Amino acid sequence: MNAAVRLSVSSLRAHKRRFAGTFLAVFLGVAFLAGTLVMGDTLRASFDTMFGDATSGTDAVVRSADTITTPGESQGVRQPVPTTLADTLAKVPGVAAAEPDIEGAGQLVGKNGKPIGGQGPPTLAGNWITDPELNPYRLAEGRAPRKSGEVVVNRGAAKKGDLALGDTTTLRTPDPVKVTIVGLATFGGEDGMAQVTFTGMTRADAEKYLTARPGEAASIKVRAGPGVGEKALVDRLTPVLPKGVEAITGQESAQENTDMISSQFLNVFTTLLLVFSGIALLVATFSIHNTFAIVIAQRTRENALLRALGASRRQVTATTLVEATGVAVTASAAGLAGGIGIAAGLQALFPAIGFPFPDGDLVISALSMALPLAVGIAVCLGSALLPAVRAGRTAPLAALRETAVDTSAASRTRAVTGLGIAALAMAMTLSGVLVSPSLWTAALGAVLALVSFVVLGPVASTTAVRVLGGPLDKLRGVTGGLARRNALRSPKRTAATASALMIGVAVVSLFTVFGASLKATMDQTVSRSFAGDVAVSTPSFGAGGSGLSPRLAGAVQRLPEVDTAVGLGRGVAEVDGRGRALTVTDPVALERTFDLGKVDGSLRDLGTDGLAVTRTEAEKQHLTTGSKAQLAFTDSKKETFTVRAVYGRSELAGDYVITRAAWAPHRTQDADTLVAVSFKDGVDTATGKAAVQKVAAQYGNPEVQTRDEYAQSSAGGIDMMLTLVYALLALAVLIALLGIANTLTLAIHERTRELGLLRAVGQTRPQLRAMVRWESILVAAFGTAGGLGLGAFLGWVLVKASDGASDSAFAFAVPPVQLLIVALVGLTAGALAGLRPARRAARLDVLRAIATE
Amino acid sequence: MTATTTVRTAARVVDAVKVYGRGDTEVRALDGVSVDFPAGRFTAIMGPSGSGKSTLMHCAAGLDTLTSGAAHIGDTELGALDDRRLTLLRRDRVGFVFQAFNLVPTLTVAENITLSLDLAGGRGDPEWLDALIDVVGLRDRLHHRPSELSGGQQQRVAVARAFAGRPDVVFADEPTGNLDSRSGEEVLGLLGRAVRQTSRTVVMVTHDPVAAAHADEVVFLADGRLVDRMESPTADKVLDRMKAFEVPS
Repeated sequence: MNAAVRLSVSSLRAHKRRFAGTFLAVFLGVAFLAGTLVMGDTLRASFDTMFGDATSGTDAVVRSADTITTPGESQGVRQPVPTTLADTLAKVPGVAAAEPDIEGAGQLVGKNGKPIGGQGPPTLAGNWITDPELNPYRLAEGRAPRKSGEVVVNRGAAKKGDLALGDTTTLRTPDPVKVTIVGLATFGGEDGMAQVTFTGMTRADAEKYLTARPGEAASIKVRAGPGVGEKALVDRLTPVLPKGVEAITGQESAQENTDMISSQFLNVFTTLLLVFSGIALLVATFSIHNTFAIVIAQRTRENALLRALGASRRQVTATTLVEATGVAVTASAAGLAGGIGIAAGLQALFPAIGFPFPDGDLVISALSMALPLAVGIAVCLGSALLPAVRAGRTAPLAALRETAVDTSAASRTRAVTGLGIAALAMAMTLSGVLVSPSLWTAALGAVLALVSFVVLGPVASTTAVRVLGGPLDKLRGVTGGLARRNALRSPKRTAATASALMIGVAVVSLFTVFGASLKATMDQTVSRSFAGDVAVSTPSFGAGGSGLSPRLAGAVQRLPEVDTAVGLGRGVAEVDGRGRALTVTDPVALERTFDLGKVDGSLRDLGTDGLAVTRTEAEKQHLTTGSKAQLAFTDSKKETFTVRAVYGRSELAGDYVITRAAWAPHRTQDADTLVAVSFKDGVDTATGKAAVQKVAAQYGNPEVQTRDEYAQSSAGGIDMMLTLVYALLALAVLIALLGIANTLTLAIHERTRELGLLRAVGQTRPQLRAMVRWESILVAAFGTAGGLGLGAFLGWVLVKASDGASDSAFAFAVPPVQLLIVALVGLTAGALAGLRPARRAARLDVLRAIATE
Repeated sequence: MTATTTVRTAARVVDAVKVYGRGDTEVRALDGVSVDFPAGRFTAIMGPSGSGKSTLMHCAAGLDTLTSGAAHIGDTELGALDDRRLTLLRRDRVGFVFQAFNLVPTLTVAENITLSLDLAGGRGDPEWLDALIDVVGLRDRLHHRPSELSGGQQQRVAVARAFAGRPDVVFADEPTGNLDSRSGEEVLGLLGRAVRQTSRTVVMVTHDPVAAAHADEVVFLADGRLVDRMESPTADKVLDRMKAFEVPS
C-alpha cells in the first residue's frame, strides 16, 4: 500500500468519531438528493404505465387542433368537437368503435356534506363511455349508469367521501345534480388516476350538465378494428375530419397526459425537492470544511513530524485527501442506499395516506445513481481541499510548538473583500429592485449578499459574539463569561460553524417573510378592491373544484337583505392573438361591490360588443377607450369588441371584463368562481350571512365568508406551502446543527487540559455542561442573527422584485411573531447541539485531563 | 515541637493504598501510607520517580480516590463524598498549583485569580485579595492574558489563585518544574511567605532538593511507602537522603 494511503487509513480508523459528523452531513444530503431523483423517476414511470394501461384500448383521439392558453396555465382550453362526428367516424373503414368523450368539472359531495377533493388535482365528470375498451375506467363493482341521475365514481373518490353503492349524493357541475352511485370504477388497476376524482354519467346527463350546449364533446375516442394499426387508423380518419380538427394516436394521447402530469405536478415537485437538497448540501459543505480545517489544525504536530521525517508536501496533502475520499465515498454510497430506501419507503407510505401510488418497481436510472454519488464526493473533497493544502504547508518546526489552534482574527484583506462584495451586492439588488426592475439582477445580487455574509462572518463574529453574549456575564456569571470567551477564541471557526446555520435560517426567514408578504398582499387586495359584505366561493386550490352555479348570484340577489349580488365567471379568449382570461359578469353590479379604482369611460353599457380593461393591461396592449380589439373564442368565432372602460385595479376583477350576454354564444361549462354580495343598509353582517348561507345550501353548499374570512382563506394555500418548505428546510438546519456539535466536540478535545484545570479548581459538572451549552447557543445565536438579517433582506428583495415584475402590487410585511419563533428555534437548536458535547466534556476524568499532552 | 502540643492537621491520609491496573499489570502506587500535614506548615513530599508522591498528593487533595484507606481535609473524610461534593470541597477548601498549564487562557490575570471564588458565586475578601496581588507583585498585569506573561509570572498568578479563597490547604505539584532557577526561587519564596506570614498550609510535591529546602518538613516516599521525615531541611541534607535511595538495596 502507498504510504499516504496507509497513513490515512490508520488515521481514519483512529479518529472515527471526528468524522462522524462529516459522514452524517454527506449521508443526509446525498440521501435526500438520491431519494428525490429515484422517486421522481419512479412516479413518472408509474404514471406512464398507468396511462398506457388505462388507454391501451384507445387507438386514436380526435379533437380540435387549437388551444387557447392564458398566461400562467400549462394546459390550454380546447374548443369542443360535435358529438355527431363520432357517428361519421364510426363508419370509416377500419374503425371498430368511436365514442364522444364529454368532460367537465364535477365535484362530488361526500357523506358528511363536505366536497371531495378540490385541493389541487382536478375533480372531473364525464360521460361513462360504454365501449369498455375505450373507457380508461373499468367497472370494479356495480354497473354502468343507465338512466339520468345514475353515476359511476372512481373508487378512490368514493372511499374519501365515505360513499357506497346505492348512496345518493350531490354532484356540483356546478349546479347541484342529485346522483345515485350505481358503480365503482378503477383507473389502470388503481383506485383512481392519482388524486383526480371522476364521476361518469350517462351521455345525456353529461351533455346536459357539463357542456354549454348539447352535442359538444371534448374529444372523440376511436378504436381500430382488427389488423389496423394506430398510425394507419389516424391516416384513415384524417381525410374525413372537418377543418380545425385533428386525430392523434392513442399512444400520443397517453404521452400527452403523462407529460401534463409531469409538467403540472411532478416537475414542480421534484424541482422543489432538488432545490432543497441543494441547500442542504451547501450547508453540509460548510460543516465538512470546518471539520477538516479543525482536524488538520489539531494534527499540526503529527504532520510536522511527518515532514521532519522526510514526507513531501505532496504526500501530506495526499494523506488528507485520501482520508477525505474515504469519508466521501463511504458516506455517499451509504447516502445513495439511504436515498433509494427513502424512495421505497415513500412508495409504501403514499398508498397508506390515501395517495394511490401506482405499483411498480423503483426506477433507478444511471443518472440518479451517478449524480448523488458525484455530488457527495465533490462536496466532500472540495470542502477538504483547502485544509489539505494547508496541511501540506506545515513547517517541520511546527512539531515543537505548543498549540496549533488558529486564533488569528480576520485579516484586513478579508474585511476589505467582504465589504467590497457586500457593496456590490447592495448596488445590484437595489438597482434590480428599485432602478430597473429585473429578477435576474436582483437574484445575482442576492447570491452576492449571501457570499458577502459568509466572507464577512469571521470579521463580524468577534463583535457579534461579544454583543450577543454580553448579557451572559450577568446572567450566568463566570460560566457564561467562559462560554462567551470560548466562542470568541477562534473567530474563523466560530464564523464557519455559524455560517452553516446562517444559510439555513436565512432561507427559512426568506420564506417566512415572503409568505407573510403574500398574505398581506392578499389581505390588501381583498380589503382594497372588495367592497361587498360577504363572499361566496368554493374553497379550492389548483385545478380542483367545480366553481359555483351561475344561478346562485341570481338567487341571492332575490333575498330581501341583499342590495347587490354579483357572480364572477371565467372565460378565455385570444385578445389580438394572445390568450387571456376574461371575467364574465354584470359590469354594473361589479362596480358596486368592487372598488375598481379610477375608471375612464363607463362600465354601464358594455353590451355584447363592449369590453373593460385594466389600465396596466391596456397600456401593454396599446388600448384606450374607444379602441377596438379582436377576440377569438374557443368556438373559433372571432368578434371585434370596443373598449368602453379602462379601470385601475385588477386583483379580483381580472384584466378583462365582458358581459354575460357577450360571453353566452361562446360559453363552455358555466361556473362562477366568486359571488360577491353587499347587503342593504341596516342589515348586519351576521343576519345577512345566515340568509345567504340558506340559499347557498341549495346550490351545493359553497362557503359563505365575511370579508375578513375571505381574505384569510385566500391566504390558506400560503400556509400549506410554508409548512412544506419548513419541513424540507429542517434537513438543512439539522445538518448545520451536526456541524455545531462536531465543532464543539473537536474544540473540547483541544481544551482537555483546560477543562481538567477548571474541574480541579472547583468547576462542578453542571457548570461545565452549562459552559459548553452556552457556547453552543452563542454560536447558534450568531448564525441565527445573521440568517434572520440576511433572510429578511432577501425576502424584501424577492417581494420588491416580484412587485416590479408583475402587474399587481405586492405588499411587504415582516411577521415579527414568526421571525421570533424562527430565532427561538435557532437558539433551542443550538442548545440541543451542545447537549452531547457538553455531556462528553463533563465526563472527562480530571486527573487524566490535567496530564494530557 | 513537642508531642504534647496539639497541632491541628489540615490534611491527612491513613493507610492509603492506591492500586492501578490488575493482575500482571498491577501497580501499587501507594502501599499503606499514613501521613499528617499539620496546619500552618509547609510540607514537601519527596521521592524518586515512581515513588508515588504525585499519587499521594492527588489522593490527599481529592483529585483521585484511594483503593483503600482514608483521606481527610480537616475533619472531612473524602471517601464519603460524591463528585459534586468533592468538587465543592476543592473549590472552597483546597488550592492548587500545577507544574504547568495553571491558567485559563481566555481569562485575564485578575479573573484567573478569582476563578474559584467566581465559580462559587461569591465575592471573596477584597482586602485579602488586594494584599495577595501585592505579595505576588502582579498589580500592573491584572488585565493581561496569561499568554502575555512569562512562565514565572504565570506561576505567581497560579499561587495567588491558590490562596485567593483562603483554603485549608494548598497543594503544589512540582510548581517550579518548568521554571528557571530565579523564577523558581521567587515562587518558592511566595509559598514560604504565605505559610509563615499568613499561617496558610502548603503541601508541595517536588524532586528538587533545593525546592524542598524551602519547606518546614520533608516527607520521603519510596515504592509507595513513607520511608522518612526530616524537620528543618537544607538542600544538602535532602540531597544526601535522596542519594540513599539510589543505592541498590
